[in-house]
Amino acid sequence: MTPILEARGLVQQYATGRSLFGKPPSMRAVDGVDLAVREGEILGIVGESGSGKSTLGRMLLGLETPFAGEVRWRGQPMPAPRTDMWRRLRAQMQLIFQDPLAALDRRMTIAAQIAEPLEIHGLMKGAEAAERVAELMARVGLRPDQADRYPHELSGGQRQRVVISRALAMRPKFLVCDEPVSALDVSIQAQVVNLLRDLQEQEGLTMVFISHDLKVVHNICNRVAVMYLGRVVEEGPSGEVFGDPRHPYTRALVSSIPKAGRGLTDRIILQGEPPNPAMRPPGCAFHPRCAIADAACAGEIPELSGHRGRLTACLKQRAIIPATAA
Amino acid sequence: MAFVSIRDLKVSFDGVQVLHGIGLDIGRGEAVGLVGESGCGKSVTWLAALSLLPAKARISGSVRIDGQELIGAPGPEIEKVRGARIAMIFQDPSSSLNPVQRVGKQIMESLRLHRGLKGAMARTEAIRLMNMVGIPSAETRVDLYPHEFSGGQCQRIMIAMALAGQPDLLIADEPTTALDATIQAQILDLLSTIRRETGMAMVFISHDLGAVSAVCDRAAVMYAGKIVESNEITALFAAPRHPYTVGLLDAIPELDVTRARLQPIKGTVPDPKYLPTGCAFAPRCTHATDFCTTDQPELKRQPDSGLLACFHPAGRYKTETLTRREELV
Amino acid sequence: MLNFILSRMARAVMTLVMVMSFAFIVMRLSGDPATILLGPDAPQDAIDAFRARWGLDDPLWKQYLAYIAQIFTFDFGISMRDQMPALDIVLERIPATLAITLPAMILKLGIGIPAGVYAALHRESIADRGVITLSIFGFTIPSFVLALVLVLIFSVQLGWLPSGGQDSWQHAILPIVTLSVGGIGIMARFSRSAMIEVLGQPYIRTAMAKGLSWRDVVWKHALPNASVPIVTLVGFMVGALIAGAAVVESIFSWPGVGRLIVSSVANRDLAVVQCLLLVIASSMVAANLLVDIAYGLLDPRLRSKRSAH
Repeated sequence: MTPILEARGLVQQYATGRSLFGKPPSMRAVDGVDLAVREGEILGIVGESGSGKSTLGRMLLGLETPFAGEVRWRGQPMPAPRTDMWRRLRAQMQLIFQDPLAALDRRMTIAAQIAEPLEIHGLMKGAEAAERVAELMARVGLRPDQADRYPHELSGGQRQRVVISRALAMRPKFLVCDEPVSALDVSIQAQVVNLLRDLQEQEGLTMVFISHDLKVVHNICNRVAVMYLGRVVEEGPSGEVFGDPRHPYTRALVSSIPKAGRGLTDRIILQGEPPNPAMRPPGCAFHPRCAIADAACAGEIPELSGHRGRLTACLKQRAIIPATAA
Repeated sequence: MAFVSIRDLKVSFDGVQVLHGIGLDIGRGEAVGLVGESGCGKSVTWLAALSLLPAKARISGSVRIDGQELIGAPGPEIEKVRGARIAMIFQDPSSSLNPVQRVGKQIMESLRLHRGLKGAMARTEAIRLMNMVGIPSAETRVDLYPHEFSGGQCQRIMIAMALAGQPDLLIADEPTTALDATIQAQILDLLSTIRRETGMAMVFISHDLGAVSAVCDRAAVMYAGKIVESNEITALFAAPRHPYTVGLLDAIPELDVTRARLQPIKGTVPDPKYLPTGCAFAPRCTHATDFCTTDQPELKRQPDSGLLACFHPAGRYKTETLTRREELV
Repeated sequence: MLNFILSRMARAVMTLVMVMSFAFIVMRLSGDPATILLGPDAPQDAIDAFRARWGLDDPLWKQYLAYIAQIFTFDFGISMRDQMPALDIVLERIPATLAITLPAMILKLGIGIPAGVYAALHRESIADRGVITLSIFGFTIPSFVLALVLVLIFSVQLGWLPSGGQDSWQHAILPIVTLSVGGIGIMARFSRSAMIEVLGQPYIRTAMAKGLSWRDVVWKHALPNASVPIVTLVGFMVGALIAGAAVVESIFSWPGVGRLIVSSVANRDLAVVQCLLLVIASSMVAANLLVDIAYGLLDPRLRSKRSAH
């Protein structure tokens, strides 16, 4: 199956300061990512702050132009920003992010906000649009009487539903969700997670789900890519990656999640500070915090490649004797 | 008698009651978790106990530490308790430190206040504390400002500052929520280690049930300004009795089960201005009866263990939950 | 820190050079000085002689360099009206202006900041409402209206204070009061909101949770943080010490820099106008420099960000 969206060698870097002489210092947020999103799947991107996951998400949507590499949509290169082609494509690709209150206009009613994209693109008007809005609201579980409310009158979970229904108004094919449930309480978070799963299962929406919450990613995503300092270090079906993590970083990440009722058992506590993209270690970026790294790890950047049926970017994977056959 | 005992603590802001009579005992050296969603009053309880709420808050009830009443006590008396007997650390470590003061100076301020240490002695002790909480090369970094540390390190400095007063009780208010997963694990580990070494009691406030079970012996679940259930950690998670506790546990995805659909709690947390007359959870509870919508259940000691405020506790739910989990594993 | 101050000073000099260049361009665009000064009927040889005397025949770039060189030797030319060095005329007026603007400045800070901080610490009290109401009154009333009202009350009706001139210290009272009222209002309002903002920050709660007395929380944690934004406003006020009193000086016939601006512009005394422009710009730039240095001293975050390169 051909991927709906494909990223090849994506790199993004930002200048971190000014310099009177010579090249200004820069920081690589994303450092060479290859990724393929298949039609109808939810691909999770997990990582801690500084891993470049949000930057990657914006590049996948064409909201940010990569420094190097390219994004292909259905086999075609992304059109240049702010062209007609780009606008048409943008309608098919939508972004949902963490803070719904920031994404909504606080002086517009819920119904007006959901109808807005329909009107901007001149698709529907009047009664037809009102009908579509009612349909969208019902789809995400908002009550009809909430149509005339304003964002501040709704709870956080309800606001995120409004954002989702507005994103759905254009019948998109592809959603990028950047930490969409992180600001929500546990009981509400589950409601939104289920809604996103329904959208995938019933309407065949393709999604990239960016989150630092491994539990949520594991629940919602078919496949997952783990990022560390701008590179994908492990990729695979989410059950495999979280059930039997292979990369030392993924192992530490998975074991750092305390389990309700049991807490932290047999945990790997990573030493050292969270990674800083402005000071990337040479070689494998994870080696200063890695328990099994040796001199070779400081000298070579490992590529994401197949080792024992799994995709990992770790020099040690070749040497590791398979764990007890799981 | 318990070291700290809270009785019928009530708080309201502008006529809206947010805390509806909290009763809680903390023993010496004990680690108690306070669990619940935003707005349930878990932080307000301790901010009220230490008079850290804004002046418009109306507080009634009783908070005693070794028999000394804190509610209504004069300012200087409460100041003697803050930091010296009960210390507190907060959710957002980076903005909880004074941005224009060197971190060492902020730690030394507590040392002067509670242990009378000054000058070189205070500085040496501040460095020792920074080392103890795992700040590398503390000798040189004692004179840096908060923005020169990462979020995790700022939380370590907050912990060092709290330890400076050698408190009997540490209130940790969502101390790991703003941190990344691996750093979160480091801080949880640090808190457990310190508690083992100093023997101080701890109240760990969090919405993360996993984090609570990592560091606590016992936990209380709060909903809409009340404690609805409390028990030993193992009992609470293995056999939750209040439908809200059951719902919370079901709503959290776990890493080691297959990807089943989550079971959310329907509806939303009630607006404290318009609380239901009966049990506050009744509108969201699948097993509520008419009785639940008119009468408020009291928090009562249960025959086996723990405290519970529910007319229709789960026993039945428990087995259902377990079967659901078992068939998924 | 030294690095930081040096880079700020270099920038200040650059700003001044730009102001000078701007002044030069405006002067050349506003007409031929020879015809303006000598009149349209002047004989051609007189105009030629004037041009040769002032170097107006040289190419523009040469004139510009000569002009810059002159300024760097503190030679600002001769006033065409009084036949005195322009710089002397301007400097002579500065003490008079400072005699009213400095006391006004002290009043603005001395009354405005404590009032604002007090209001913030006693939020929603009667005192707080009083401070808000008075400060709105203070900065909304135009200074010429206030001046006239004060003259009407204290000079005309009560006869306590003179309405204009510079003969005794009593003459300075009404100008000082007029100048300071608006600034006190702004300062109070600004200090109040800066303080309220700081008091809501998590580190204030940390300081309280530590066991500090409220007094120590305010003095050691709240005020140092609130002073950062307040310093910006103080900087603006320092910058306006020399030039900010034009209206008040005119109303009270106070012979300061402000009145000199008005009269020299009216008389087209170009050398004096040019000199005033430079003196005023220098004072503003110097005030800005002081604000920047103060920022660096008060807020370590800005210090490390700015001196990073």
